[in-house]
Formats: sequence, structure tokens, C-alpha cells
Amino acid sequence: MKRVLWLMIALAGIFSIAACGGGGNNTSGGNTTGSGGGNGKAPEKIIITAIPDDNADKLKEHFGNIAKYLEGKIGIPCEYMHVENYAASVTALANGQAHLSWMGGVTTVQADQQTEGGAVVVCCRDIDKKFKTYFIANADSGIGKVNDLKDLAGKAGGKDFTFGSKGSTSGHLMPRYFFTTQNEGKKPEDVFGKVGYSGSHDLTLKQVAEGQYTVGALNYATYDKASDELKAKAPIIYTTPTYVDYSFVARKDLGDELIGKIRKALLELDPASEDGKKILGFMKAGKLVEADMKEWAGIRNVMESDVDIGG
Amino acid sequence: MMQRTRVESCYAAKRPWGHFAALLVIAVLVIGSFWAVEWDFSTFTDPAKAERALERASGLVEAFSDPDFSGEWLERCWELTKETLSAAVMATFLAVIFAYLLAMGAAKSVAVGVEPVSGWRGRLLRLPLHLFCSACRWTLDILRSVPDFAWAVILVAVLGLGPVTGAVALALNITGILGKVYSEFWDSVDPKGYEQIRALGGGRLKTFLYGIRPLASRSVQSFTLMRAECAIRNAAVIGAVGGGGLGAEIMYQIGMGKWGKVTTLMLYTLGLTLGADLASNFIRRQLRSDPNHPRAVKPRSTFANLSRAYIGVAFAMCVVLWSVWFMGWGNSGGPDGQARNYLEPLAKLGDAKERKKIAFFEDLLKPDFDLESIGYGDPAKREIQEQMGTTVKFSDEYEWYDFWRPSAWVSWEKSLQNWFVWRVVKSAAVPLAMAIIGTLLGVLAAMALSYPHSLAFQLESQQFTGESPHPAVRALRVVQMALARGIGLVSRGVPEVMWAFLFIAFFGPGLLAGSIAIALHTLGVLVRVFSESVDNIPYRRFEQTYRGSRMSCFAYTAGPMSWKDWMTYSFFQFESNVRMGVVLGIVGVGGLGFFFTFNFEWFRFEKAGTHLLVIILLTVVIDRISRRLKLSRVG
Repeated sequence: MKRVLWLMIALAGIFSIAACGGGGNNTSGGNTTGSGGGNGKAPEKIIITAIPDDNADKLKEHFGNIAKYLEGKIGIPCEYMHVENYAASVTALANGQAHLSWMGGVTTVQADQQTEGGAVVVCCRDIDKKFKTYFIANADSGIGKVNDLKDLAGKAGGKDFTFGSKGSTSGHLMPRYFFTTQNEGKKPEDVFGKVGYSGSHDLTLKQVAEGQYTVGALNYATYDKASDELKAKAPIIYTTPTYVDYSFVARKDLGDELIGKIRKALLELDPASEDGKKILGFMKAGKLVEADMKEWAGIRNVMESDVDIGG
Repeated sequence: MMQRTRVESCYAAKRPWGHFAALLVIAVLVIGSFWAVEWDFSTFTDPAKAERALERASGLVEAFSDPDFSGEWLERCWELTKETLSAAVMATFLAVIFAYLLAMGAAKSVAVGVEPVSGWRGRLLRLPLHLFCSACRWTLDILRSVPDFAWAVILVAVLGLGPVTGAVALALNITGILGKVYSEFWDSVDPKGYEQIRALGGGRLKTFLYGIRPLASRSVQSFTLMRAECAIRNAAVIGAVGGGGLGAEIMYQIGMGKWGKVTTLMLYTLGLTLGADLASNFIRRQLRSDPNHPRAVKPRSTFANLSRAYIGVAFAMCVVLWSVWFMGWGNSGGPDGQARNYLEPLAKLGDAKERKKIAFFEDLLKPDFDLESIGYGDPAKREIQEQMGTTVKFSDEYEWYDFWRPSAWVSWEKSLQNWFVWRVVKSAAVPLAMAIIGTLLGVLAAMALSYPHSLAFQLESQQFTGESPHPAVRALRVVQMALARGIGLVSRGVPEVMWAFLFIAFFGPGLLAGSIAIALHTLGVLVRVFSESVDNIPYRRFEQTYRGSRMSCFAYTAGPMSWKDWMTYSFFQFESNVRMGVVLGIVGVGGLGFFFTFNFEWFRFEKAGTHLLVIILLTVVIDRISRRLKLSRVG
């Protein structure tokens, strides 16, 4: 019995320690993220996040640069927070763990939905207004260029196919949408042998090049950045029509003034300057341009028409 | 005379039809699992694919022979190992506390009392206690049946990525398991053992503290230890869905194809799990104080006897404190080398305003039953669905009296496909099929491997064979046993999920990869307990039947004698394999778990809720069946 008593005292002690620690953090945590309230009070620190559509190390470097640049322009400390999947970046923005986020098309709309209109598009790249997806095939598979996705279904039926991340626009939603509409409602699952999700665009390219999957779909920007060796192993067989995609999304409760400042700083990025060369060069953009949430209505329609993902 | 008739009637009543029934059931299940879901054997049948798979496999072997031992990487792995360990410790600690409290509610002997009551007043007074008891049981059931990976998928969105998410996810699941088993232990204590405490006027709590708890404490301790070991294994892989630790890095490096780094990470994982294995064996030996054991007779000072418990508790507390410190302030394993407070999001949950922001998860509690397609629910939506032709209509082609035509069933099933809930239920076939095939393969392999694995048949066989083997023969047997033990150790030390990652890289995602992963881990777990139960048989039992071949002695004497134990363990493993099937779905194999994460990540919480419900039902149904058939026992 004594043992139990001791145990309980020890437990109580630990709990109180943990509670104190927790309490202490609570206040400081609230301050650093400072996400509460829509009264436009600027947070002490701006947390930037992004959908993980590329190699994590590259993203950390790139968004570290953006954070540093923004910090210099708006005078508030900025920090990049890496997340491991697309949904986490949306929830991070929706529950205030992050203030500014680099989103894909689907995630932009999801951010708007999950914050119930509390998100605003800051800007997007010039190329985002005309985005497209490449379908690629393993070079050894003998699937040459196809005219449309119906043609692809005929040639590659029964072969393995991979999308990128489940939550990706250019790596999943749009290729799926184009495939289904061009094949009279037949899903990729009905046509291909196995349909997988590689997790990101660079993995799609790698896995198709290595033959783990025969066919894949990925966004053209990642493909264009890749090495020639990989491109030779996984040539493009089809290019989709264009659509809108990525954007910088911010929480509305940052206040119009601060959002305006961020927007101004990002739009000012000049490919001639050193910062601009680094940042825009990575993003494969000429410059960043103004955009509005309304432009993502097309994506929203595709999402709401309930693209059947199976299950 | 009386005795004899009783024995006879006993024989007559117990025909061995059970074995045939069991074989039949297994055959049906195997056929069912091949029929209900599509298996892709093209890696074996398609020569081009086979060649590529072989190439990849040889590449893998090559890659694994070249682990990355650069100083920087080793340091990073060490940090990740500590992160994993701290998550596991914290999970176990939280789970033990909550499980203890919940189990006190869920144990009938503790919460309600087992002494008979008379009169309506007594019964009425007990009613609220009964309700409380079943509420606790349901809570435990739900906590237990949602796999830790599913908890992690949900929690990542609330707590963000990091070890604390993994710790809480593991804690929730372990709470369910520990709570159920604790309450069963307490309920199975004979009331006569603590009757005097009630007789002396002890209340419910005192009866529990002074009567029930001490009587069951040995089993409670040993089971907790077993789960702690499991927690470490699971913490090593829960990073795959955002729980931090080694798993996250392994998943990432496999994706990048950096096999050298993967090998190092796997070696660390193996080291961690084996370390846990050894440590728990050591602690178990300390706990075991059998009064008849020769060691217990040895005179010891009172201090030596009492201090052990205090030292044990103090050590456990130190480890827990370390894990809290490490998670909060000491973890500098992050990419920027800066200490990061992972406990912060947990503390934030206490804030009502912060909590409101995650309110959209409430939709998870409103599962989508798609009533419109089966003719109920909102009429407006129903009309739309009818126009689109996505409603369930049974009587289109066949009437009910066509039930004898197989084609009628096919058409009915096709029509039923329009109902979302049916699709969800059907997707449960994937984890089930994987569990059935995986367990079966694993059990068969474990039976075969327990012969070379067994101490009795390899090293100590001369005790019942009477032979005196040549030293070379002995050496051969030692090598054989070491090999078998090595295989067992590695295949249970590497968690299923990690095996699955490897086989996915080899066969591509699918049932095949999942089943083989499950089979391999099952083999590792079972071969240990199988050969243990063989080794526990007194050697004189073998002496009588030994006829010159150790192998046939094993097959015809040891096997049948430990058969019942083997089957109990196998069924216990099957239950956990079904849960594992769901988990493997979450990491990409397919089926129920896959669709759950899919819908969750697409913020279709209502649909994810339905999947979650089916996951819970799957476990609860199997649990109830096994309880009814008394197929598995605790521990």
C-alpha cells in the first residue's frame, strides 16, 4: 500500500510540474503565435508554411529565404514551419498555427472552406494562372505520345499508374478530372492495373523513371526543373489543358494593413535583385502577381462536383 | 463406479469435431479472402515485372550492405532514437494512468461490486453504477479499436507534426488495451480473497486498494511491461503518419531511395526494439518473486527486500521525467539544431479559444450513412440521386424469388455498391484478407521454425534421446539454433509497418506486400512463444515417445502437446493482425485504412467518420466472437 501511496504522490508531483510547465507555455505560446482575435493586431512572429510538394531540404532552404526577405521588408520576425502532408498545411492555417501559407489549387480552396472565408489570397506566380500537368511514361514501356487520355487508356490499360500526393491539384485532382471527363466517366482505377500515390511530384518522376510505376502524372514545373537524365527515362506523353494552381494564402485576421504589406513585399520581388533571383528562380516564376480567391472558383467546382476518388 | 461413468460420458460428449470445423472455417476464410479482394500476383507472373522486381531486390540487398555510418548521420539517428524512446515512455506513462482510472470504472468487481443484492432498492441503487461501468467499458472499447495510426492521422491536424502527436496517439490506443486487460484481471480475482476487507467495513475504494489490486498486481505489472515493449516498437514507426521519431525519417529516406541511410535507421530501430526486449526480460526477472524459487529462500535484509520496489519506482519516474524534459526542452534533433518545445500544442488544447479552432473536427462524429441512396433521408437529395441513377434498387432485374440464381446476387451486390456504407464495409475485406493470409502463413512458418528454435530439441535433446552427439554435430545444432533465433529476433524486432515499406518498394503497394509483412512479423512473434511452450514440456514426456528421430518426436509429441497454446497465441495474433491490416492500409497498402486517411485528408470528415465507425466495429465484432468462443486469453 505504501508503494501505491508513494507512486501516487510521485504522480501528483509530476502532474503538477507538467501543469505548471504547460501553464507557462500556454501564455508564451499564445503570444508568439498571437493568432487570436480579428482585431488586426499584428502577431509577434509570422509563421510561414507550405504544402510539401518537393524535397523537404529544398523547401526549407527556399522558404527560409522567403522568411528572411519578408522579415527585412515588414519588420516582423518570420519563420518557416515544415509540414509533412498537404492536409496538415491547411489545418495549420485554419487553426492559426501558421499565418501565411504557400498552397496548391485544392489546398487554397480547402483553406478558404476550413477557415469559413477567413483566408485571403495574397498573390500567385505569373505561371500559376496557366498551370498544367504532364502525363509521363517509363521510357522502356513503349507508350509513345498520346493524343488524349482516352488514347492513353487504350494504350496503357492494365499498367500501373501513380498520382502525386492525394491532396495535390496538379498531381491528383486535375489529372484525375481530365482523365475521367475524357474517358466518359471511367475512373483511373477502372482502367489502370494499380493506382498509387507517390506522395510528391519529385517522387512520381523518380518512380516512373525507375519503372516502379509505368505511367504517372505530375506538375510541369517540377518536371522542367528535373535533370535531363530523369527526363530521358520518363518522357512526357500528354499535356493537359491549363488551369489555376498555387498561391500565397494568408489568414484574414492578420489585418488588412499587414496583409497589404506582405503583398507589396512579395509583388516587389524583382528577378534582377539577388533575393528575387534566388526566390523566383526556385519557383520558376518571372514574378509574383496579384490574384483573388475568386479565380479559384473553377477548382472549387471540380472539387464540389465530387470527383470520385473511390471508397 | 460413479467416477467411471462420469469419465465415459465426458468422452462421449466431447467428439473431436471441433478440429474439422476449425479446418473448414480456415479453408472458407482463405478462399473468401482470395475471392473477395483482388490480389495482384503480376510480380510473379509477368516476366518483365518479375525481372524488374528482382533487379530492385538485388539492388536492395546491395544497398543494405552499405549502411551510412558517417558521424553526422549517426548523431541524427541517435537523436531520433531518443525522440522515439521519449514518445514511447510518455505514451506508456499517460496510458497507465488513464487506463488505471478507466479500468477501475470498467471492472465490475471494483465499480459495482460482486456481492449479491436483494430487494428492488438495492438494485435501483446499483443501476447508476452499472451504467457507469458500461460507459467506461465502451470508452475503452472505442479507444482500443481505433488503431494508433488512425489516432495519429486525426491528431496531426490538431497537434501538428512531432513526437508529441505520436505519444498521444499511442497513449490513446494503449489506454484502451491496458484498461480492458486491467479490468479483466481485477474481475477475475476470486472474491473470497478480499472478502475480509468488506467484512471489516472497507468501502469500494478500500476493497480495491487493499484487496483486489494487490492480488492482481503481478499480472498487471507483467502485462504493462509487455505493452511498453509494444509501445516502443510502434513509436518507431508512427512517424510515417506524422508522429515524429525514427519512422518519419525512414519513410522520407525510403521515398528518396537513400538506402544507405535507411539501413542505418533500421539498425537503430532494431537496436531500440531489441534493447527494449532485453530490458523487459530483465525487469520481468526482477518482478518474479516466486516464493518457491530457490532464490527467494535466500535470507535478505528487510532493506534489501523493500528497497527494490522503491528503486524500481524511482527509476521509472526518472525515465518519465526525462521524456517530459526531452520532449519539451531537450530535443535538439530538429533540422535547425535548436531545441523545440513539442509540448506547446498540447498545452494549447487547454485554451478554450484554441479549442474552438479545431471545432470542425466535430463532423467526424457525424458519420455519413448515405441514407438517400437506400431510400431514406432528405427527399430533395434523394431525387437528385435517383436522377443520377445512384440509388440502390434490388428489384430492377430480379425479384426476391430469384434468390437461387447466382446472377441475381451479383446484380444485387452491384446495385448495393451505390450505397456508400456498403462500399466502406466492403473495403474492410482488404485488412481482413491480409490478416487471414498473413496470420496463416506466419503461423505455419512459426511452427516449422520452432523446431530449430527450440532449446529442448537442439541443445538439450540428449536429455531425452539418450544419444551423445559428436562435438561437430553439436556445433551444427548450435549454428542452426542461432540462425533460427536470429531470424525470429529480426523479424519481430522490425515492426510490421517497416516490413511493409520494404515490400511496397519491392512488390508495389498492395495486398501482397501487406500480407507478407504481416506474415513475417507474425512469424517472429509466434516462434518465440511457440518454442517456449515446447521448452516448457518436461523432458520425460519426450523420453517415452522418442524413437530415434528428433524431428518426428517434435512433430508427433511436442507439437500436439503444445497445440492448444499455439492456437491460443495464434488467434490472439490474428486479432492484432486485423488491426495491423487497417494500419497498413493507412500507410498505403489500400482498403479501409487507406480510404479513411484519404477522406480525412480531403476534409470529408463525415465520410472519414463512417470509415472510423467500421474500423471500430471490425475490432469489436472480432473481439466479441473470440470472447464468445473463448479463443483467446489475456496476456
